[in-house]
Amino acid sequence: MKKKTTGLEAVNGVFEISLGVNGAKRTFAVKNTEFLLDALRRYGYKGAKKGCDTGDCGSCTVIFNGKPALACLIPAFTAHGAAITTIEGLGTVRDPHPLQEAFVEAGAVQCGFCIPGMILSSKHLLDVNPEPSEEEIKKYLDGNLCRCTGYVKQIKAVKAAAKKLRGKGRVSGV
Amino acid sequence: MNHIKYYSFPETPGAALAGLLNRKTEAMAVAGGTLAAKTLPETVENFVDLKNLPLGYVKKRGGDLVIGATATFDAIDNSKLAKRWAGGVISAAAARCSSQLIRNMATIGGNIARPHSFNIFPAVLLGLDAKVRVLTKTGVKTIPFSALYQPEFRFRPGRDSLILEIIIPGKTRNWACRFEKFAKTEASWEAYLTLFMGIWMKAGVVKELRVAVGALSPRPFRAESAERVLSGAKLAPVSIDAAVLELGRDLDAARAGEFKKEVAVSLFKRFIKERV
Repeated sequence: MKKKTTGLEAVNGVFEISLGVNGAKRTFAVKNTEFLLDALRRYGYKGAKKGCDTGDCGSCTVIFNGKPALACLIPAFTAHGAAITTIEGLGTVRDPHPLQEAFVEAGAVQCGFCIPGMILSSKHLLDVNPEPSEEEIKKYLDGNLCRCTGYVKQIKAVKAAAKKLRGKGRVSGV
Repeated sequence: MNHIKYYSFPETPGAALAGLLNRKTEAMAVAGGTLAAKTLPETVENFVDLKNLPLGYVKKRGGDLVIGATATFDAIDNSKLAKRWAGGVISAAAARCSSQLIRNMATIGGNIARPHSFNIFPAVLLGLDAKVRVLTKTGVKTIPFSALYQPEFRFRPGRDSLILEIIIPGKTRNWACRFEKFAKTEASWEAYLTLFMGIWMKAGVVKELRVAVGALSPRPFRAESAERVLSGAKLAPVSIDAAVLELGRDLDAARAGEFKKEVAVSLFKRFIKERV
């Protein structure tokens, strides 16, 4: 029987990690100084944005092992074995996720920098709570800052997406 | 973070402690990582990730509330059990920590192992007479939460020992409690003041009173003079005023800024007057 690995060793400061990104198995070579956000962007997942880099703005939000998390605070090597969803895993231009549609339809996107994080947080909220109240939406999105808007249209978009998803009988959109 | 050579993700507390102690290089345990990941000492070469330990629970055991060290703020915020305990103060405190994204990651163990003065839980746990179970190389020790930061406790959680769980005693279950965080914004990590207030009354007499203050000094402290004034007394304007005066003195002793003192005193007065 193969012994389960419970550790990794860096070679010249680089860890080789295996992880799942948007349902695909990937292998990343990451420096011991690197954070997940930088690694994801280096490997082409540029939907995760670098804003504050201190865990305050939420632009780097990804779904990490089932929960929205701040990729700028996660040492990249600790993503070994993790399942990650970035905005690229949610929908496409031709087949957008209902949340993506709702954000466009509600006019909730201005510069767009914060939107990937906001949509991923919203997606998890709707996965666990298909009919959130406005207060619950506000509480759940309190870590995703937007400097363009006053959040009104984004909250409207989340409500609209919730309604659409309930109508389709589809809560998880991935 | 420059010098991490070994990354381990053990599945049992024993293996995690071995991971901390067995290598010749300096080691550090990290759970949520929200406080630690960006501030790892450069001398640390051995990173022990606690995410796989089965310590993410919030449960009742023998009348006490027991919270595993890797329970996230979100798990505590949403725990039905925690919401029913001590007027829901533990959940309410968890909900006041920074943002949802941080609450999804940060753990109660990390919050007390890294004793930043502005952390959420130290004042709450001090006020609730919590105990902490810590795994050390000489075995599991159960110590009062207040002893965790004292020099007599020779271990450093996360470096040469591991916090396993926090035990909130059953006597606090029906206490009326409140937690207040005074900060620049609701989402600010660095509170100017954290204040826990808890009271247990019987037949109009104060049986237990706790006022625990955080963020003013390196360690949280109890305003014991204020507590003493009201313990065993009926709540009356004279005794309340005397307790408020003593709280002010306790805060002066901690060299609280005048505005923080004003806020703490006002919140305390409001909390007590609601009990009359």
